[in-house]
Amino acid sequence: MTSIVELHGIAKSFAGFPALKGVSFDVRAGEVHALLGENGAGKSTLIRTISGVHAPDRGEVRIGGEVVRLSSPRDARRRGIATVYQELLLFPELSVAENIFLGNAPRTRWGRLDWAAMRAKARALLEELDCHDLDVDAKVGGLSVASRQRVEIAKALSQEPRVLVMDEPTTSLAEGDVSRLMAIVRRLRERGVGIVYVSHRLREIFALADRVTVLRDGACIGTRPIGEVTEASLISMMVGRSIDQLFPKVDAPRGKTLLELRKLSYQHAVRDVSLTVRAGEILGIAGLVGSGRTELALTIFGITPATSGEILVDGKPVVIDRPRVARDLGIAYIPEDRGLQGLIRSQTLRENVSLPVLDRISWATIVDQGGEVRRAREAIERFGIRARGTEQIARQLSGGNQQKVVVAKWLGTEPRILIMDEPTRGIDVGAKAEIHALMGRLVQQGLGIIMISSELPEVLGMADRILVMSGGRMAAAFERAEATPDAVGAAMTHVGESRDIA
Amino acid sequence: MDAVATATPAAKNARLARIFAAHGQELVVLGSLLALMALSGAVNARFLSENNLNSIFSGNAYVAVAAIGMSMVIIAGHIDVSVGSLIGVLATISGTLAVRGYPIWVAWLASIAAGIAIEAVNGALVAYARIPAIVVTLGMLSILKGGLISATSGAWITNLPPGFLLAQFRLFGILAPVWFAAVLTVLAALWMRYSALGRSIYALGGNPEAARAVGIRTKPTVVFVFALHGFFAGIAAILFASQLQVIQSTVPPNLELNVITASVIGGVSILGGTGTVVGSTLAAVLFGAIGSSLIFLNVSAYWLKAVLGLMILATVLADMARRRRRPF
Amino acid sequence: MAMSLRRLLRHETILAMLVVVALVILAAQSERFFTADNLLNQGRLMAEAGLVALAMTFVIVTGGIDLSVGSMLGLSAILVGVFWKNVGLALPVAMVLAVGAGGLAGLVNGLIITRFKVPPLIATLATLALYRGLAEGISQSRSVRGYPEWFYVLGQRDAAGVPVQVWIMLVAVLVSAGILGLTTFGRATYAVGANETAARFSGVAVDRTRLLVYTASGLMSGLAAVILVSRVTTTRSDMGTGVELDVITAVVLGGTSIFGGKGTILGTVLGLALIQTLRSGLSLAGVKGDGTIVVIGLVLIGAILVSNLFGRDGDG
Repeated sequence: MTSIVELHGIAKSFAGFPALKGVSFDVRAGEVHALLGENGAGKSTLIRTISGVHAPDRGEVRIGGEVVRLSSPRDARRRGIATVYQELLLFPELSVAENIFLGNAPRTRWGRLDWAAMRAKARALLEELDCHDLDVDAKVGGLSVASRQRVEIAKALSQEPRVLVMDEPTTSLAEGDVSRLMAIVRRLRERGVGIVYVSHRLREIFALADRVTVLRDGACIGTRPIGEVTEASLISMMVGRSIDQLFPKVDAPRGKTLLELRKLSYQHAVRDVSLTVRAGEILGIAGLVGSGRTELALTIFGITPATSGEILVDGKPVVIDRPRVARDLGIAYIPEDRGLQGLIRSQTLRENVSLPVLDRISWATIVDQGGEVRRAREAIERFGIRARGTEQIARQLSGGNQQKVVVAKWLGTEPRILIMDEPTRGIDVGAKAEIHALMGRLVQQGLGIIMISSELPEVLGMADRILVMSGGRMAAAFERAEATPDAVGAAMTHVGESRDIA
Repeated sequence: MDAVATATPAAKNARLARIFAAHGQELVVLGSLLALMALSGAVNARFLSENNLNSIFSGNAYVAVAAIGMSMVIIAGHIDVSVGSLIGVLATISGTLAVRGYPIWVAWLASIAAGIAIEAVNGALVAYARIPAIVVTLGMLSILKGGLISATSGAWITNLPPGFLLAQFRLFGILAPVWFAAVLTVLAALWMRYSALGRSIYALGGNPEAARAVGIRTKPTVVFVFALHGFFAGIAAILFASQLQVIQSTVPPNLELNVITASVIGGVSILGGTGTVVGSTLAAVLFGAIGSSLIFLNVSAYWLKAVLGLMILATVLADMARRRRRPF
Repeated sequence: MAMSLRRLLRHETILAMLVVVALVILAAQSERFFTADNLLNQGRLMAEAGLVALAMTFVIVTGGIDLSVGSMLGLSAILVGVFWKNVGLALPVAMVLAVGAGGLAGLVNGLIITRFKVPPLIATLATLALYRGLAEGISQSRSVRGYPEWFYVLGQRDAAGVPVQVWIMLVAVLVSAGILGLTTFGRATYAVGANETAARFSGVAVDRTRLLVYTASGLMSGLAAVILVSRVTTTRSDMGTGVELDVITAVVLGGTSIFGGKGTILGTVLGLALIQTLRSGLSLAGVKGDGTIVVIGLVLIGAILVSNLFGRDGDG
């Protein structure tokens, strides 16, 4: 069978960092080709190369057998490659129909926009996607995430593509919407469209894919027919080593309960969550994106203060209405979005490290600059941060070193409870291992850590106990011994089931 | 919903309801205008006299025309605080040419051409030099204002040839400015609804990244929007210049504020991406009515600006409240 | 400091050199220029915009802008006269209340921006109209005159040979520089402008910081108003019109990024000096007041153009 799109030996670097190292990939008509890999493996760069966003430094792209140079996303679209990204690119104030056709709207004889045709065609496209409940005149801004995604898919389909690239399409969807999406994918496959399905949800990949390609650290580890792989073989291809090697689990003595949540809620994002964290333990929180894990962290940390329920620190009830209060109680949050939430990238390492503790290193509000420099130097040494000095601008550091700065910054507040949200996302394997080792050391010193992670191997490898969230609630709890990828994975995709959580 | 469904009464009502919802602000302005006129007319019948109505509609037509261009700029996600000074400059250029014996159409063309050129410079600085529009137009405001006063020392232009006084022509009994405002508003509204370029302005203001992704060439489009705004400013300047027998070569006070306020109150969101030119035209007329009714109600005209300020605030606050309810 | 030493040296040094060059040129043009008397007088004229510019530096560093400073100035100026003549309060009390009113106006700006999430641009554009409108409405275009002799000390007299408002300005500069450069509040200001989200996540009181800088902007406008009234011996409702241009230009010229996160008081002071020198030079050359604003406008656009060409602003 011939491929519609082929990539041979694609290499791409950004500011010296190699995102792709000689990757080959192809898509055939009427197939679902899954693209799998940890965060930072190069999936995003690869699909952006296919969609014409990035031009490769080396290697060639072929469409229908001919070598092409894609000059822009529009160029790629004209050649039949459409992409649905995770961050939906829609216009909130415009209607569904207009969003679908903006840029290639149907015209009348006089050249003016044919709104009637636009609306009719939009409706037809949505029908094909089995979306009977979407009103083509509705403003996109008022739609749910799942509906907006369907608009985005319809938009991609409006140009009758031969290849459709879908980037993590189900991360923000609830169970029911996931099934609908998979039905859409199957329907498209029957029509002969070649689909690149980027995901880290093994369950979906096994349900949909014909072939699967695994990327790791910018290289293609292998492409296999789906029948030739198992979950275990895929995970080992993704991770590259056995789980024990990557996640050195250290056993630390359990102490008293540091943090307890009782039926904590925040509007509809967090519902009746109860849990405990003891000194010396790592509590893993697994779940699909949108299951409420980060929302829970933000509620504990005071960014979105709880609307009901209780938080107890050291057994005493507290009210956390802003981050400063959380910090004073000994809670620190290492955020999911390092660049936006974790660091001020335009400021120096020193300024970043001292920001959360400025009031503790100043007298009469005047900052102790000498003390600040000392702190920064200590941080560089203690965490092995590779930087030119305390005055280096954070933006210039690598992902792994930036994460170390964020960790150093928050450890500087002397927390006893550390919440880490996707702590090793997008950083190289070496730094990953260092952070895991650090976590082990911290719990030995008596900290309690809540680790939120989308990477099942990491959760399974590091956590003493695993809680699974779904739809804002606690869906399941596992002790380390009883947690298997199947059990945890199953709990993640189940909605509405709740067991008694310790 | 299939094609059959749209024909049913229920679907028709739904569509109608949505049109009302989408254009709520415009309807509020229209309603306020009618209510105000009714009220003021009841208090003082002379409010509804032909003379006064003429002055309200015709006297503010140039604000409405300028607001057409301003609305486009704001919808595209930018702003222009220099338009008042610009109109002053264009009016002076136009009047000076007319007085010096150039053909009237040359004087008018000069106003429009200069308007396009100057605003294109603004647009280029915003798009290519990446300077925020507020700063560019703040600077341009001073350049134009200072330049105007330096060049003319505020001297009045008198002896305008009669053919120049466009604002005093009548067609079917209605003054020319009203025609201009009405026709231009309709044409602009149609263009913004039915042309790809017009829709791209909404896209630009609504989500610049997405606009780029669908292939809209954002930078040239920004320059174009500013230039188009300059075109409308040029026409507005002609209408403004020809209202009286003389042109005061100064910058009309508060003009940029009036124009921006007209757009914002007419439903153009200051965040960009939404709004119509019909609303801004109605709002411009509304201000004229408010100003006039203040006089008729014996309220000091000095409070007009405060009222405008409050109105902008109220509209913007309402807009923010509306947006916050969205999940986007 | 929140700017690396190297970058600080680059921008402020260039600016300082420009100021020196401008002074030299003007001194060469006219022997009246480089006298102590004239220079001090320049300082006197600079003080009003200067005070406002100090507060505006904080505002722009937080990534915001305050277009209503001129209107707050005008409103406070009118209120001095109103509180004294119409309400009958003692003049010192009237002065304090007028400054307080400026602060209140600034606080309202801050509340609209933080509580109602209105973008600073449009919020202060609206209050620009509202406050000026209040000034016009309250004053009904009548001006107040006849202040007691001692009142003019502020605006027209010297202390130890230096104009009073220059002393005030000096104190204000030192205090502002100290706050912005040395205190936790200054750090919070930079953090909010550079990356508001990260600042919030780091425990910085983002809303309170914003509220304070906009209130300070109002207070400074009020203080400048009192000094201005004292200098020109009258109050008029159009006072302060256009001061936002000078102030914003001075701040931007001084190296503060319009996008927020970077800037120094020293830079603003140098920017003010350069603008004042330009103005005075132009006026000595016979260009009338309105002509100078052409130059100021060009300088504003030019300053940002150059800064955009030479560096990336904002947070990565």
